[in-house]
Amino acid sequence: MENDFIQVRDVVKQYDGHMALNHVSLNVPQGCIYGLLGPNGAGKTSLIRIINMITRQDSGEVLLDGRPMVPDDVSNIGYLPEERGLYKKMNVGDQIVYLARLKGMSKLDARNAMRQWLARFDLTEWENKKLEALSKGMAQKVQFIATVIHQPRLLIFDEPFSGFDPVNAEQLKVEILRLRDEGSTILFSTHNMESVEAVCEQISLINHSQVVLQGHVSDIKQQHKKNIIAIDVREGTQIATNDDLFTLLPPVAGQQATHIKVNQGIAVRDVIAWLNEHCQLTGFHEVLPSMHEIFIETVKTA
Amino acid sequence: MEKLKLIILREYLSIVGRRSFIVMTLLIPVIMILCMALPAAIGYFNNSASEAETVAVIDETGRYGGAIADNELFHFVPLRADTVANPHEFYKKADGQLAAVVVIPADVDSTSEVTVYSENTINLALKERIANQLSDTLTRARVASYGVPGLQKMMDESNVNVNLKSVKWNAEGDESQSSTEVALAVGLILAFLTYMFVLLYGAMIMNGVIEEKTNRIVEVIVGSCKPFQLMMGKIIGVALVGLTQLAIWVVIMAVVGAVLSAIFGPAALSAASPDGAAAMAAAADDFDMGAVMQAVSSVNYVYILMSFVFYFIGGYLLYASLFAGFGSAVDQASDASQATTPIIMIMVVALYAGMACIENPNGPMAVWCSMIPFTSPVVMMVRLPYDVPLWQLVLSIVLLYVTAAACVWLAARIYRTGILLYGKKHSFGEIMRWIKR
Repeated sequence: MENDFIQVRDVVKQYDGHMALNHVSLNVPQGCIYGLLGPNGAGKTSLIRIINMITRQDSGEVLLDGRPMVPDDVSNIGYLPEERGLYKKMNVGDQIVYLARLKGMSKLDARNAMRQWLARFDLTEWENKKLEALSKGMAQKVQFIATVIHQPRLLIFDEPFSGFDPVNAEQLKVEILRLRDEGSTILFSTHNMESVEAVCEQISLINHSQVVLQGHVSDIKQQHKKNIIAIDVREGTQIATNDDLFTLLPPVAGQQATHIKVNQGIAVRDVIAWLNEHCQLTGFHEVLPSMHEIFIETVKTA
Repeated sequence: MEKLKLIILREYLSIVGRRSFIVMTLLIPVIMILCMALPAAIGYFNNSASEAETVAVIDETGRYGGAIADNELFHFVPLRADTVANPHEFYKKADGQLAAVVVIPADVDSTSEVTVYSENTINLALKERIANQLSDTLTRARVASYGVPGLQKMMDESNVNVNLKSVKWNAEGDESQSSTEVALAVGLILAFLTYMFVLLYGAMIMNGVIEEKTNRIVEVIVGSCKPFQLMMGKIIGVALVGLTQLAIWVVIMAVVGAVLSAIFGPAALSAASPDGAAAMAAAADDFDMGAVMQAVSSVNYVYILMSFVFYFIGGYLLYASLFAGFGSAVDQASDASQATTPIIMIMVVALYAGMACIENPNGPMAVWCSMIPFTSPVVMMVRLPYDVPLWQLVLSIVLLYVTAAACVWLAARIYRTGILLYGKKHSFGEIMRWIKR
């Protein structure tokens, strides 16, 4: 755990008798894109606000580089809240510079960085426009710039893709990956599971104020696999059946391959060998559950 | 501190740069100047631009025809009664040349009744002129008719006007002239200033807080600084906006005042109508300018202004923090008026208490209200010119600042929780729990 950048240890937070976080612990390694998942009201925002030092935990601790966080650490954090907000009546450029300076940048650095970022997002001509003149997508980009401009070591994105059209969402994804490659650690709160599969390396799933699932995305998928194999056979031929080895799953619309569930105690390799003998097998692969399925299953059973 | 400075600066610039601020700042003096200048301008044009109107005086007594002297507005033409058979026909024949016809009846000495005829409405200035001039003449005539030698002189001399001079002793018994009127005016102006400033800019703070909350930008900002810094930045920034506005107004007023008095002359500024001008001129005879100047200078301005600054800052902090705290607890501007009603009620009570204290500035109500921190910034302004005992002044200021500090602390606790809770209405009990947390 030497290289863990952020360590949340046994954090408890209560609001007016309502338990928002119940002994939550998680470790975010340096340079990782870490997904914080969970349904609405699970406690994600409470946890983010504690890491962000907007609110204080009742007990437990949050460590940064292995030491407790201090108020000056906020300059190491960039936070993009789910509820986006900027001053509507303020110039785009002034606004970015103001927020950057609040994070401790000098006026000159802030201004230079602001110009670079505006250019990168094709917003240069909007620098002296008021924010209310911008489209929603452009305002989102401005907010993104304000979040990352001071090159924080930790970036917290709360539902970063909401409100972006596919083209802009792709641009955003590229930027997020680039920031990761430049050394930033990214904490990514979402319930959009597609984006989790696309970018996150590790996740914590929070439900009812508790961590119910935690680890690497690939490990979690392995743990949740259900011994399902997708089988492709030559067109026009039928798949043979053997109730001792596997069960056929009902076909799903829009899905070419036939899914079979390998019976308990049977090795996958034996099933494939048997199928290879009894029908004209053209391909097969193991079906891993999507994060979406894991999410729903975990939240429902919890 | 660096962050606080940034927040103050942003707050200040964002309001001062707003079009509505610029318009309001310029418009209010313009409206005030218009209110002041319009009567003066009207008076000026009335006095100089129009020609004097002619009024015929038909004198049936044969003695009082010349009694009404001309002035810049009216030219009186005395006529013997036997030359005019019918006043109405005479008026008609003049074909608009005559403004009115005055008939002094033969028995005027006993009835004191005189009639003015015209086809137009007879204006007030003409009536006053005729009545004043004839009253004077008829009084003299009656005094003379008693046949007592020197009676007129005796009567003039027996006309007594008591001139009340108030002299204030200090502890050593030294005397100095004081004027309650001037002291009162100074106190009232300062009390009003405090009241207006707190209400106007308090509301501005609350709107700013609500705007940040509904915008959700507050979450970004408190991720960079402490909520307390944001709140204080706002309070201080808005105070600077207010002081800027006041400074601009003072400058505009001074410049316009100087220009106006240069063009129209000082009398025009105070003269609302030609009669007003005449009255002013008459009053000036009994008016001892030196005494007024002495009274004005007898008010201890340094002492009053120093106290004013103390009360002003304390009172502003007290109320501004309340506005910020309440603002953070509401969710949208439309709920805000509900939240501010109690604050405004207290302010109104303070203002009325202040005005009531004029009657008895050292009475129990005045003393109590100048001690209670919520009313003292207004009430003490009215009391100050009447020499408040030092211990009262010190106690009142200490109480005010202790309470203001408590309010800031309280508001900060409400604020840091309130700004992050959206979409709900919060009960009073809930807000109390935020404070305890």
